[in-house]
Amino acid sequence: MTESALRPRKANGAKPSHRGEWVLHLALTVTAVLMVAPFAWQLVTAFKTTGEASQSPPTLWPAEPTGDAFATFFDSVPVWSQFTVSASALALRVLGQLAVAALAGYAFARLRFPGRTLLFGLFIAMLMVPSQLFLIGQFELIRDLELLDTIPALAIPGMFSAFGIFLMRQAFMSIPTAYEEAARLDGAGPLRTFWSVMLPMVKPTLGALAVLTSLYSWNDLLWPLIVSPRGDNRPLTVGLAGLQGQYGTDYPTLMAGALVASLPLIVIFLVLQRQFFNGIASSGLKG
Amino acid sequence: MTARTAPPPARRRRAGGLGPSPWWGYAMIAPAFIGLAALYLWPFLKTFAKSFMDTPAFGPGTWTGLDNYTDLLGDGDFWQAFGNSGIYTAILLLGVPIATVLAALIQQISRGRAVYRVLYFLPVVTLPVAISMVWRFIYNGDFGLLNWVLSLFGVQGQYWVADDAYAIYAIGVVGIWMSLGVNLIILGAGLQSIPPELYEASSMDGAGRVRQFFKITLPLLSPSVFLVTVLTVISALQMFDLVFVMLRSVDNTALDGSKTIVYLFYEKAFVQFDQGYGAAIAVVLLLVIMLATVLQFRLQRRWVFYD
Amino acid sequence: MRHSKRRSAAAAVAATALVLAGCSGGGDGDEVTLTYATWSDDQKPAMEAIAEAFEADHPDVDVEVQVLPWPEYWSTLQVGAAGRTAPDAFWMLADQFPAYAEGGQLLDIADAVADADVDLSAYPESVMDLYDTGDALYGLPKDFDTNAVWFNKALFDAAGVAYPDDTWTWEDARAAAQELTDADAGVWGIAAPIDRQGGYYNSIYQAGGQVIGDDGKAAIDTPEAVAGIEFWTRMQADGSSPTLQQLSDTEAVQMFMDGKVAMYFSGSFWAQRLYGDEALRPNVGVAPLPMGEQRASMISGILNAGYAGSEHPEELAEFLIFASGEEAARLQGESGAVLPAYDGTQQTWLDAMPEFDLQVFVDAVEYSVPLPIAGNAAEWTGLETEYLAPAWNGEQTAAEAAAAYNAAIDEVLAE
Repeated sequence: MTESALRPRKANGAKPSHRGEWVLHLALTVTAVLMVAPFAWQLVTAFKTTGEASQSPPTLWPAEPTGDAFATFFDSVPVWSQFTVSASALALRVLGQLAVAALAGYAFARLRFPGRTLLFGLFIAMLMVPSQLFLIGQFELIRDLELLDTIPALAIPGMFSAFGIFLMRQAFMSIPTAYEEAARLDGAGPLRTFWSVMLPMVKPTLGALAVLTSLYSWNDLLWPLIVSPRGDNRPLTVGLAGLQGQYGTDYPTLMAGALVASLPLIVIFLVLQRQFFNGIASSGLKG
Repeated sequence: MTARTAPPPARRRRAGGLGPSPWWGYAMIAPAFIGLAALYLWPFLKTFAKSFMDTPAFGPGTWTGLDNYTDLLGDGDFWQAFGNSGIYTAILLLGVPIATVLAALIQQISRGRAVYRVLYFLPVVTLPVAISMVWRFIYNGDFGLLNWVLSLFGVQGQYWVADDAYAIYAIGVVGIWMSLGVNLIILGAGLQSIPPELYEASSMDGAGRVRQFFKITLPLLSPSVFLVTVLTVISALQMFDLVFVMLRSVDNTALDGSKTIVYLFYEKAFVQFDQGYGAAIAVVLLLVIMLATVLQFRLQRRWVFYD
Repeated sequence: MRHSKRRSAAAAVAATALVLAGCSGGGDGDEVTLTYATWSDDQKPAMEAIAEAFEADHPDVDVEVQVLPWPEYWSTLQVGAAGRTAPDAFWMLADQFPAYAEGGQLLDIADAVADADVDLSAYPESVMDLYDTGDALYGLPKDFDTNAVWFNKALFDAAGVAYPDDTWTWEDARAAAQELTDADAGVWGIAAPIDRQGGYYNSIYQAGGQVIGDDGKAAIDTPEAVAGIEFWTRMQADGSSPTLQQLSDTEAVQMFMDGKVAMYFSGSFWAQRLYGDEALRPNVGVAPLPMGEQRASMISGILNAGYAGSEHPEELAEFLIFASGEEAARLQGESGAVLPAYDGTQQTWLDAMPEFDLQVFVDAVEYSVPLPIAGNAAEWTGLETEYLAPAWNGEQTAAEAAAAYNAAIDEVLAE
């Protein structure tokens, strides 16, 4: 990192005086309240009774806070086993994605071979295709590989993302070629150059890609439904979706379930947020 | 990382010519290529072929040439869905300037930046199903939070997601809310790459903050704004999940007037057993997305500045 | 972008596969595993009891009950069937049935049924008619549902209106609905959504009309059918019902359970849910649907069907016969889940909820009409809201809306 990049942003010329800054804070805080309000409402509703949840006007605080909704959720959904499935699929998918994307991203950024532009264009074009178009074909492939109801089935398609390749390509492109030239002069082969020189330099982007992939993996619902027909390996999202049963609307239970299912990822995000934001910021995503 | 001090383009280009035999390149993209070909390209081609077929619910289809496409052009539902996807995309594009201003504001403050980023990013790390449940509840016309808040200001509430006059707009608001966090990050990264010296110089010239935003920030940020815009259009045109989860209940009469293109595709292919027709819808959507993207790349020369 | 794509996929929540729910997998060794896909959490205990009872008779067979979310049920079943991995056994509905039957996806159990000496007359004829395909037999009825008036006694008492009974006519119902409505208190006399099974199909037949005529074409624009539709649109017009918007936000059954509507014309399948709400239970009454020109109630029923591609067709046929048989019917009835189809077992269901006068639903079988099915029913019923909502909203007359919908149905049927 160059020193200027690390300098706190307030060094950015127009030193906002502390006197003027409160206006900015006011604007940002108002927006933040709007952003967070739905979560707050979800939390409050989760502790209400069904009757109170559909009262008009709504009560801002539960009259008699109750954990019944959580109990209902834990009773009706095998939370722990589904949590394990979610976590395993996530780990597998992240590792696979990082390996595939880093290799291909590097090749597209730095190696020259016939057809490179065409292939890259092909990959990027896939980004524009609505994902529902792939559904049946992917399912048939997984079935023919006899992987239905396995954790790899949940993880495999997500390992191959054109977006990941694009992201890694951008990151490698932003690294000065001087490093590779030096490695080449030292007699390092392409694989070694990749592994010991280039890869360490894009760590932040790898981190960002890992976090993003985790997100998609954790949130994925349609695909797990399709490839776990026997129900042996189903993630937490499926349990939550099942809550929206056929009839009626038990809002507190829905809110409680939504909260519990989202929580692990929110915690991960809060813990890793620094890596995440830094990674994205340094990834060349700036276009 | 030296992203901000990238070497001049000329050197970069030359560097591409360096290096080992092309086989290394092929070997390194092989895993990606095999995966993408088997899991994306091939399934896509199969669906593409189906768009020229009359497909019974089960069993092989028969070739019917362009029939599905000609039917499509005369299908009022198709055009309505197209309109709805267009409206939704337009609403989401309104989120881009909002994100740009917010990113600039966050950049300007000295303390609490991380807190705002985290708060704005929360919707992104939340399960989409969960988000839809929460918003449906908030939008409820009889006991939803939104109408209650509006009533405090004396504004008459609506049945936001139960009335097709409002539903697609209400969903658009959720879309903005969901995508703001990601847009902020991309734009924030762009902001960080603007050399601080520029601001220092213009400050000495007596330029105010607003003037700096328009004269320095916006032009130099334009590549990021462009990227965000392109991504927004692509994903907005593919919107499906919010309609699916928020409008699809037993008695919801707003669904009919609020279907998007991908929803219509889903309905034809997976509810009404007409995969050929559904495939044709998806192919047309793909063409539209490609057209919109190419168009944006063409237009970018008019407003995007690359240093 | 990858991001948003995954997101859409995610929320599709399920579009597809739950039901693959049980690929016809063989278990380890001699053990045979059958998967049984359903969509109701409420009925899960009863279905598991049935599975256990079957396993007790067939120690080498393991039956796995799968509950799939209703919004995803049909898409997952379809992908599963097309991908040769559908569950072995699953619930089937009449409007989806023709596509699966004609597509060769369903296991023909006619021979097994004949070998097992199953008495087909034990099932309601009108339900059997729904799944009649001539020689083949693609399953047996699991349950049936008829319609009646669910009403809230407390709201009737508060308004001083006499409870509905078997003498009620349309006029009585409409008058009561108006009298029960108290806008200030947020109470409506009736819920009048666009509901074919519990609502306007019944009144069309009560008025002497038909939805699909004897010639196989739509008949929803006849004066009788229009009168049946007007029964509902008039109650919307005079404010006796929450608007369509309100009913979109909060389903009619929820409104009824919240004490916001006094009457809800709907099916027997709500009994268990209404009974389960202990605060509500003493206030719930049941009465026959009011008379128009004649009595009529839609009847429908779930079929226990099997997948033609199952690896264990013999065990599957045995299971299907068992799951629709007398013992299974009793298990269902006792659980209160649904009204079992097997003749003579309905009493178990009535006994499970003695406080409710559920006999009304059994009596309705006499004047029941099979839910009309023709052609691609999923497609033309999908057009219902588009064409009929203007009549419910008062933007069109019932006759105008019915004429437009009639033409649209015929267009689908002509395909």
